[in-house]
Amino acid sequence: MNWPDLSMGGYGFYVWGSYLFALLAIVWELVTLSYRKRAREQEKTAQQVLRGTTNETTS
Amino acid sequence: MNLYKYASPTNFYPLAGKMIPWFATPAGILFGVGLFVGFFIAPPDFQQGDAYRIMFIHVPAAWLGMFLYILMAIYAGIGWAFNARLASMMASSISITGAMFTFLSLVTGAFWGKPTWGTWWVWDARMTSTLILLFLYIGFISLQSSIDDPRRADRAGAVLALVGVINVPIIYFSVQWWNTLHQGATIRILQKPTIHGSMLWAMLIMLAACWLYSVAVVLIRVRCIIVEREQNASHFVEATV
Repeated sequence: MNWPDLSMGGYGFYVWGSYLFALLAIVWELVTLSYRKRAREQEKTAQQVLRGTTNETTS
Repeated sequence: MNLYKYASPTNFYPLAGKMIPWFATPAGILFGVGLFVGFFIAPPDFQQGDAYRIMFIHVPAAWLGMFLYILMAIYAGIGWAFNARLASMMASSISITGAMFTFLSLVTGAFWGKPTWGTWWVWDARMTSTLILLFLYIGFISLQSSIDDPRRADRAGAVLALVGVINVPIIYFSVQWWNTLHQGATIRILQKPTIHGSMLWAMLIMLAACWLYSVAVVLIRVRCIIVEREQNASHFVEATV
């Protein structure tokens, strides 16, 4: 097993920079997706409640 | 088991929800294993030193950018040809992840290019065609979001996706067709890889991780799209209670 040198032989900025960017891209995608999912779930619940209410009032 | 019933967004919605953990969990594990092999097992390169380790994220991102575009075009084409709503929704869902990986491949490529070539960017055939791929993804996403009627948006997006698919072989063969600064393919299907086994394994594990991650994220997003588009349909609301 090779313990990597954190400076990456002088290329640390480039290596860690690219992995940091990858992490940020994945986190950005997951966070925006989570917001979107939450908003849609709320809409869906509201829709179900509305339909339930409508059914009650029409029945 | 009748698989055709899962072509309906209403039936696919709960199935997608059940499938997500089966892709997300292995993706997380494989990201850990891939990074461990890439940073602790794989030796430094004899020419590039440790700078080559950018490859473990750059290559999977570039491959997925291309592969997801082909997949997106296939789904968009099926949606257009057979009027299959779920296929069009899948195309929309794939587009954002594909664009993210293409953007990531360009950025990590720039991070790799600076120490090895001495420049962040050149108008090289491989890099320029990959940039065009990103523009195609952005065009697809923008076109879909600019048209209010989802069915018309799907058709317009399908035309763009199918026309743009020609760019994928151009990206792949650009290093053979033109004299480029970008290096040629290190891994070919019919030839023995020219890199160290541990480097190859790290890259393949990271590729599998990125692929599983993409499937999980696409499934989560397609569930959101199904809710957005079908929320007014009573059969969907009743089926997903």
